[in-house]
Amino acid sequence: MSVGDYAARNRTAIGGGAIAVVLLAVVAAVFDLPVGELLTVGMAERSLRAATPIALAAIGGLYAEKSGVFNIGLEGFMILGALTAAAGTWIVSGEGSITQVDLWFGVLAAIVVCALLTVIFAVLTIRYEADQIVAGLAVWFIGLGFGPFTATVIWGGVSSPSLPNIDNVTVPLLAEIPVLGRVLFDASPLVLFTILITAVAWVVLYRTRYGYWVQAAGENPEALDTAGVDVNRVRYATVIFSGAMAGLAGAVLSIGIGSGFTGTGVTMVDGRGWIAIVAYLFGNYNPVGAFAASLLFGATDMLQVQFQTVGISLPGSIVGLFPYAAVLVVLTLVGYTRVPAAVGEPYDTEE
Amino acid sequence: MSGNGARAVLDRTADRMVHATAVERLAIAVASTLLALALGAVVVAASGYDAVEFVSSLAYGAFGSKSNVAFTLRQSTMLIIAGVAVAVAFRAGVFNIGVQGQFVVGGFATSVTILFLAPYLPTGTVGGVLLIVFGTIAAILAGGAYAALPGLMKAYADANEVITTIMLNFIASGVVFYLVDSQLRPSGAAAPNTEQFPDYVELPSLVFDSSSFSVVGLGVALATVIVVAVVMSRTRFGYDLVTSGYQESAAAYSGVDPKRTVVTTMTFSGMVAGLTGAMFAIMILGYYSDPATFPRFGFDAIAVSLLAANNPLGVVPAGILFGGLDAGGQYIGFTLDVPSELVDGVVGLVVLFVATPELFRMAGRRTGLGGDRK
Repeated sequence: MSVGDYAARNRTAIGGGAIAVVLLAVVAAVFDLPVGELLTVGMAERSLRAATPIALAAIGGLYAEKSGVFNIGLEGFMILGALTAAAGTWIVSGEGSITQVDLWFGVLAAIVVCALLTVIFAVLTIRYEADQIVAGLAVWFIGLGFGPFTATVIWGGVSSPSLPNIDNVTVPLLAEIPVLGRVLFDASPLVLFTILITAVAWVVLYRTRYGYWVQAAGENPEALDTAGVDVNRVRYATVIFSGAMAGLAGAVLSIGIGSGFTGTGVTMVDGRGWIAIVAYLFGNYNPVGAFAASLLFGATDMLQVQFQTVGISLPGSIVGLFPYAAVLVVLTLVGYTRVPAAVGEPYDTEE
Repeated sequence: MSGNGARAVLDRTADRMVHATAVERLAIAVASTLLALALGAVVVAASGYDAVEFVSSLAYGAFGSKSNVAFTLRQSTMLIIAGVAVAVAFRAGVFNIGVQGQFVVGGFATSVTILFLAPYLPTGTVGGVLLIVFGTIAAILAGGAYAALPGLMKAYADANEVITTIMLNFIASGVVFYLVDSQLRPSGAAAPNTEQFPDYVELPSLVFDSSSFSVVGLGVALATVIVVAVVMSRTRFGYDLVTSGYQESAAAYSGVDPKRTVVTTMTFSGMVAGLTGAMFAIMILGYYSDPATFPRFGFDAIAVSLLAANNPLGVVPAGILFGGLDAGGQYIGFTLDVPSELVDGVVGLVVLFVATPELFRMAGRRTGLGGDRK
């Protein structure tokens, strides 16, 4: 797809993005914000880290929705992923000192457990034709309940003790490159993996047969069925993939970049699963677009740190709300993205 | 003659179908709840607690003593009003997940109104009644306005209301916390709470001797149910609302403006949600605090409404059931040491099962129960 093609197909998203940029510029001018001081290398680094869990969940979610199943349970699966990663690490370390291997085991456990839980969700929504929105909400409630419950059973409180996180990978030489080196080559391996998976997800979706199957399952399931491909099998695969990705996203939050599981209030996931849904809508179901949108939300999430360093004093509880406000602005501007035709409709083969 | 006969048969069949679906819905609601509770008990047993003790303590905590019943009814009062708020929107096919945020904003409006007006009104019962009335009106207006926003965004910008209302929940909680913490906290106080309301601002405690539950509150909840049920079944607005829920195109042909219906539905739903906040501030708290510490009535209300098939009258038994579950859950929290979050998980399971009626229909066909319907 050429740049021109892309621009033609994604007029709303690009227009919305442009409007958002203009709005931000106006805000910056009106309040006389020191934009130069806000855009630092540290800011880029922090934004990318904050974007990682959102982008992972968004890419999983967009595959599911492309194939016709709206996995609105991303937030819930992220909570369960964050918990499983912390709990898995804790258990395998024998409650002693925690090594890097234990942490990677935790990440793997989160992916596997969430994939297995999504199998149940997939069976209920695809085979038993559950209402996708209500079932997805139920997953969130289940995460909000059983997440802190399990934490209390293991640690005696809704949060885990402070855990170490996964070490950064420093690529010799490349890390010396100014700006880019620090952002990309002295970073968490999970950040790098997210960038890789964004590229792979794009290639698979737009350049392979499997990608066309996914798109057809959401746009024209009858045609796919006629071509001899099992629509529901494609949907099972994408939904389970979205659960695994949400599990990974949760693991990134709790032990990839964070320091353990927090279960107070609405838990440490704190709406990132919902933001992920908006990220892929904003990115018009394109993995690269979803990643860019995640970066925008990640940056808004990190504004607090920047504001403090340049001496803008806004209360933390208000700056912390910026990502949610950004979501509302984005949804109002680009709410009318075209949803795949068959989303939400169970597919019955006529035999 | 024969035409009339055929018509009568059709009518009887239709009657039976309507009846059958009502029974079927009830069966699904009961089966969902029992299945969720059974799974909850399995989780409890797997976590190393005594499952039998868990179930009996849950029941005792809900209905075992007069003060437990008062606590159950207190939670039920909140869940019934919030459940009606959800039902109004769901009936029209609008997913208002923002009842929690509208409830938070409503309660805040009540608190601000009461605290600011109190010095200008007489003290004693008259002042108390006036403050309660003004506070409640403020909550209804604030809740309605806060819900109109996502309604407008859905109607005119096509923004998915599930996500906008959830975002507005976060924003409501954060902004109200900021205002309570920075503006309304008495200087020197450690906790982010407003001042106490004057002590004459309270609902009379009849029947139950409880400081946080009044039968009057339950009466308000039941009155809300009746008003909403009448509005939905007897007025033009209610007709439009229910028709849009069934079939948007049919509603449009019969002259309903779908965009306006979305906005009015959300506003109406938010007004009821705001009332929940007023009851919470006046009957339960008697001051206002950090919304992050509040019970999630707005979320449990979604389960209540779904269990009641989004019928305002059905919300009453569903609300009492969940009130009991909630009270029992808190009871086991401090007697058995079983974390009370378990009940939140069980509520999630109920929602999951209610979303999947096909599961029970299939099970019914397999076992031959209710298998006469094709």
